[in-house]
This record gives sequence, structure tokens and C-alpha cells, in this order.
Amino acid sequence: MNPQILSLEGVSQIYTSRGVKGLRRVDVRAVDGVDLDIREGETLAIVGESGSGKSTLAKMLLMLNHPTLGQVTYRGLPLKTLGQEERSRYRRQVQAVFQDPASSLNPRMTVEETLGHVANRHNIVAKAELRSFLAAQLAAVGLDPPEQYLGRYPHQLSGGQQQRIAIARAIMLKPKIIIADEPLSSLDVSVQAQILQLMSDLRKTTNVGFVIISHDLGAMQSIADRTAVMYKGRVVEIGDAIYRSPIHPYTRLLLDARLLPNPRGTRIRSPVPRSVVPATSLVMEGGCRFLQRCPHAIEVCAAVDPQLRPMGAGATQVACHRAEELSAAPTPI
Amino acid sequence: MTASQIHRPGTAEHLLDVRNLKVCFQVSDRAVRAVDGVDFHVKPAECVGVVGESGSGKSTLIRAISRLMPNLRVSELSGDLRFEGRDILGMSERDIRALRRSQGFSMIFQDPLGYLNPTHRVGRQIAEALSPHSKGESDSQRVHSLLEEVGFSDPKSVAHSFPHELSGGMRQRVMIAIALASDPKLLFADEPTTALDATVQLQVLQTLYRIHKERNMAVVIITHDLGVVAELCDRVYVMQTGKVVETAGTVDLFERPKHSYSARLIELSAHRINFRSAGL
Repeated sequence: MNPQILSLEGVSQIYTSRGVKGLRRVDVRAVDGVDLDIREGETLAIVGESGSGKSTLAKMLLMLNHPTLGQVTYRGLPLKTLGQEERSRYRRQVQAVFQDPASSLNPRMTVEETLGHVANRHNIVAKAELRSFLAAQLAAVGLDPPEQYLGRYPHQLSGGQQQRIAIARAIMLKPKIIIADEPLSSLDVSVQAQILQLMSDLRKTTNVGFVIISHDLGAMQSIADRTAVMYKGRVVEIGDAIYRSPIHPYTRLLLDARLLPNPRGTRIRSPVPRSVVPATSLVMEGGCRFLQRCPHAIEVCAAVDPQLRPMGAGATQVACHRAEELSAAPTPI
Repeated sequence: MTASQIHRPGTAEHLLDVRNLKVCFQVSDRAVRAVDGVDFHVKPAECVGVVGESGSGKSTLIRAISRLMPNLRVSELSGDLRFEGRDILGMSERDIRALRRSQGFSMIFQDPLGYLNPTHRVGRQIAEALSPHSKGESDSQRVHSLLEEVGFSDPKSVAHSFPHELSGGMRQRVMIAIALASDPKLLFADEPTTALDATVQLQVLQTLYRIHKERNMAVVIITHDLGVVAELCDRVYVMQTGKVVETAGTVDLFERPKHSYSARLIELSAHRINFRSAGL
């Protein structure tokens, strides 16, 4: 097993906002006590619905946010204590790729300027060799012939090409880890497959690790070594077998909601209750946060907040009181 | 060419009948053909899917049909477009507005927040879209029943909220309510659930399907997600670079795709899940 490179210890991010009515301040725990180890060279997927805290987690890993409670450590060093030089090195070794490549690229800079800016900032190549260096980077992300792309502006590129540029910008610094926040969701299916392919190629050639935030379980199943499922700020299940043998009811719900291209499927066509009760985002004191949506809830679920514990095959960890019974039950898919 | 493409029943059967639609955009000094000779029809109470990747012309197709095309930069817009036999392209702006206002067609889009007014309460925005009606029911009663129809158990409080107070799925339901306010015979849905979570997506699609059946309303759904059309639609058009490359009944398309591009799209969406084991 590879050594861990990034680790989260009891991390919480609390946003304070004004209440819907009146001036009372309300705390929103976007991330609520997460422990997570990320190992060198692994691809870790973080999945969950919007509002589950997965993007907040990514921001903390990128040092764009500092956790309210707990700490993030990089190779054993708490991020909070990093000096200026160490911080600069951290930023080079932990790179980001975002959801919308169009808005993460400067529209008034050509590809050459965008990438050249980063290369110069980190002094990774001599001025004279810059152009050929950049061309090689573009070729590495599958933009061929590279000369054709260097002079272009982002709007002259397709979404997939833009995302490749964003990946090139991250990969050229030879990072240890790339944090990708929904890198696929603005792309077409065939382009998604290409980007997934590119990421798994880069893993082999450069041994870079990925933390991929996504709500697309299908795509993550194809690339992730381990997957963490988040719900309301907590990791509720993590492991390498969650697609084949999900245990937590929420993981099952997510897997079940995937629409597979099966024309004889009946999930959309099945009669459903006319009104849908919206999921409330209020965090309850004590008790399991999935309680309101859980079909398996029992008494203890309302009283005790379940903690992650090892369960079943592989290195799966689940936060559910009934994990033993559920892991014995046949899987839904 | 498939049998369904050659066989073309009389226009009378069709709610919407489009023949040889061509749309050209002027981009700097060259013309880009976004839609290139598309034949397309929708029968009453039918659910039709249009799938394709970005740039395939699927959104342009329905924007041309619904006349929501900015004249700017359109260098060519031609074809025979008929809604209930009436020529859409030849219609005056006033007539087309009347068609949108009452018993014609409505649209919903991917990003509801972009189409809702942030400063007005939801109820007012639905009321604005109500078709002219006879006396009896008040506007607010109709707004409430529309909100109930799209799945809100508490229409009163929803009508009183602002768009930012609602979640993505609830906003899309509000959009559907606005679209239904004009009692349309045809609803265009352009990527209606792309921005939503999987669990919410399923709920919204279930709601859309129920309304489609209850109202006998035709639906045209545009998406890049084959999983959405597989269960929802009766018939599917597959578009690539401005052309319809295949049209078939949903089961036929998924189980016996005839065009290599359709086959590839289906394979990708099915095997993406086994991307690694498929050796891709």
C-alpha cells in the first residue's frame, strides 16, 4: 500500500449565514467531521449529491478554504503551519482542474500565454525552450499537432479541448495530486470517455494521484481505486467495492437512481406518489443524518449518530447502524 | 435509410411536422450550417427524444421550430415547418406569441435559474404565464393547482417563495409549472435534468412522464444522456453535425441501432460503467 500523502483529520467547515427569516445567524456545516487518507498515486473519487460538501472538501485540499475545525496534513505537515516557501511548493504539487474549463481559462489569453504564465511563475523551464516545452505538454494531453493550439483563445476550442488545456496546465508542474472538481460534467459522453482515458493514461505515465469530485457514479466506477460517498457533510461509505457491493442505504439509493440506457426499464414509467417531499437540509442533533430518507431506519438511528467503521469485503468502511444486516442482504443491482 | 424515414404519413396526423429544415449561422466570415436538412415530426401525445452531442444542432433545431431564434447572425432559415398544419416560419410575431400563450407549445431549459426572475415570487411568475381563461377559477387557484400538479405538497408556500429559496429540482418543477400554465399541446424540454442530481433527476423525469400521460401532451426532450430517453421516449432522433442520422422507436434504437454513431453513443453510455473492463 502506498504511503498516505494528504490526510484529513476531523475536518469541519462551518459557514455562517443569515436565517431564512429574520436576522438570526444559522450555522451550516458544509463538511462535518471528516477523516480521510489519500494515498500517493491513487485515484480517489468523492461522490454525493449537491450540498453534500464534496466541493467544500476539494477547496480545503486546495488550500482555498481553511477548515473551521480539524486539520489537513500533507506528508504529515499541517497545512496551517506551512511557511511561504513550503506553501508555494504545496501549490505546485497539488493542482486543480475545475468543472467548467471555459471559466477557469482566461478568455483574453491564448493557450500559450495561459500555460506560459504558469510555467514562468514556477520557473520550470528556460525562456528559450518555453515554446517547445508547451508544445510537448499539449501533445501529452492529446492535442496534436500542438502548434495549432498554442495561438488559440479558449473560445476557439471545444469543451473537451479546453478541459485538456486545463489538465495540461495542472500536469506540467509535475504535481503529486490533481484535485478535479466535476471535471466531466460539462462534457459530452464521448468526450468524457476521452478525458477519463487521458486521466488513466497520465496516472500510468506520471504516477500522479487524482481526487475526483463527481456526482456521476458511472464514470467514477470506471476510474476510481477507492470511492468515498458523502452525505450532508459526512463520509457515509468509503471503499473499493461500493459499486459491486454497496452497503449504506444512501449508496444504494445513488446507484439505484442511475439511468442506464435500458429501453425496457420502468423506473421513470412506474407510478409514483404525486407529491414529492423535498429533502430538508436541517442537521438534526444526534441521530443519523440519513434518517429521513432511510427505508431501513430503526430506533437507534434517531438517537445515535453512526460513525465510520470497517465492514465487509476489502477496505470498506460504513457509517450505518444496520451495516451488518444490509451487507448480508442481496445488492439491488 | 430506415423504413420510418421513408414512410411519411399525412401532415394531418402530426402535431408538428418539419421538413428539410436548414439553419445557417454567420460566424465571422464563414457560414456554419447548424441544422442541415432535418425532417422531424411529432404526433399528438407522443414523447420524442432528440439525442446528440454538443454541436449536433439539437438545441438549434427546437429553437428554430419554436421561433426562439435571434435573427442576428442567422444567415439562412428555411424549410417547411408546420404546427397543426399552420406554417410556423410564415407566422407573424403576434401569432406565434398567441401560440405560446395558449394551447400551443412551451419550453423548459437546463438552467431554470437563468429563466426565472430573481426579484419576483414564484407564484406571480406562474400567473403571468397563465393562458386566457373563462371566469370561475381565480389566478391563484390555478397557480396552486399547477404547483400541485408538478409535485409540490405545499403549493401556497412555494408560490410565496423567491427562486433562490428553492433547490435545483424544485426550480425545475416551477419551470414546468410555468410551461404548463398555457395548456400546451407540445412541451419542448432542452436538457431539463442535466444540472440535477441523479436522485432528483429521476423524480423530475417521473413527474414529467406522469404529466405527459395525464394531459396527453406531446413532449420533445433534448438530451445528451441516453439513459434519459431510454425509459421516457416512444421514439428517438439521433443527431450528428446538423443531420438526423437515425430515427427509430426507442426499443429498436437501443437494441438494434442501424447507424454506427448511434451504436457508439449507446455503447459509450452503457459501457462507461465498465470502461476499465471494456479495455478502453
